[in-house]
Amino acid sequence: MSADKGRYGHAWDEDAGPLVRPYTLTRGRTRAAHADLTLITLVTTVEPVPDDREAGGLHPEELDILRLCVRPQAVAEVAALVHLPVSVVKILLGDLVNAGRMTARAPLSMAQAPNAELLRKVRDGLGRL
Amino acid sequence: MGSVVSSAAHTAVPLPAAALAVKILVAGGFGVGKTTLVGAVSEVPPLSTEEVMTAAGVGVDDLEGITGGGTAKVTTTVALDFGRITIDEDVVLYLFGTPGQERFWSMWDDLAVGALGAVVLVDTRRLDSSFGSIDFFERRGVPFVVGVNRFDGLLDHTEEDIRAALDLDPEVPTVLCDVRERASCREVLLALIDHIAARFAAQN
Repeated sequence: MSADKGRYGHAWDEDAGPLVRPYTLTRGRTRAAHADLTLITLVTTVEPVPDDREAGGLHPEELDILRLCVRPQAVAEVAALVHLPVSVVKILLGDLVNAGRMTARAPLSMAQAPNAELLRKVRDGLGRL
Repeated sequence: MGSVVSSAAHTAVPLPAAALAVKILVAGGFGVGKTTLVGAVSEVPPLSTEEVMTAAGVGVDDLEGITGGGTAKVTTTVALDFGRITIDEDVVLYLFGTPGQERFWSMWDDLAVGALGAVVLVDTRRLDSSFGSIDFFERRGVPFVVGVNRFDGLLDHTEEDIRAALDLDPEVPTVLCDVRERASCREVLLALIDHIAARFAAQN
């Protein structure tokens, strides 16, 4: 194997490389166990966050997520900050929610909460920009 | 704390513990200034992630009778840029800049679900690049306003010409803007909220 081909030689594919590992994290699953997670569902860690020695069975990425979400974060924010695709992060978050390590808060929407009060709040908030 | 904290500025603005989230979409053709608008009003530097979108394949309906049913699916990965505005202790607003490629529009139902509304940005030099976005929101009944981005302060057409070219319904507002200016972007978003409120009031 020549040095310039790296340790994976011909098998290494620049495009395929990053795609393999995220779905290894999900043990091959492409759908979340917790189906209600949207891009703006806010997720929050149930403290305490386990430290590295206590984190039996958790991936380092899952520990990262738990540390990141001590304050609420949207699913899209978690994905951006841990540099994983949203679809992968939804699966990891679904597992963490099901395991009781995180809570998820569904977003408000006009379908659920079409109210003038919400619009007034948003308008006032934007007006302060 | 590991590799996660790559954006100190982001984590410096923690969300209130009890917050609920709402979102507004920012759409329009490629290069029209969607990410610039998001960045101009966001309290954090715009973040980027990617999402796998799925949609029924175009034209497969014609074959269903022959192949015995089943819906062919097409998946693709699209980049999403977004920002955040904390409204108050209860509400946080996310702005999503939707991918510029019009061919992805059919895949965005997931993105549109639960959105308060949308801003469609147009570039008067390439009005046709925004037709797909306008069509999308019209068909799904998502309230939207049209932001006419004045590149270099130039506006070659009258607002009436632009409205006619885009075939806009009379109630859809158009707002001239410069997406590099926060105050200008704020006016576009306020126009959207007023439009949503007016539609909501008319329905109740």
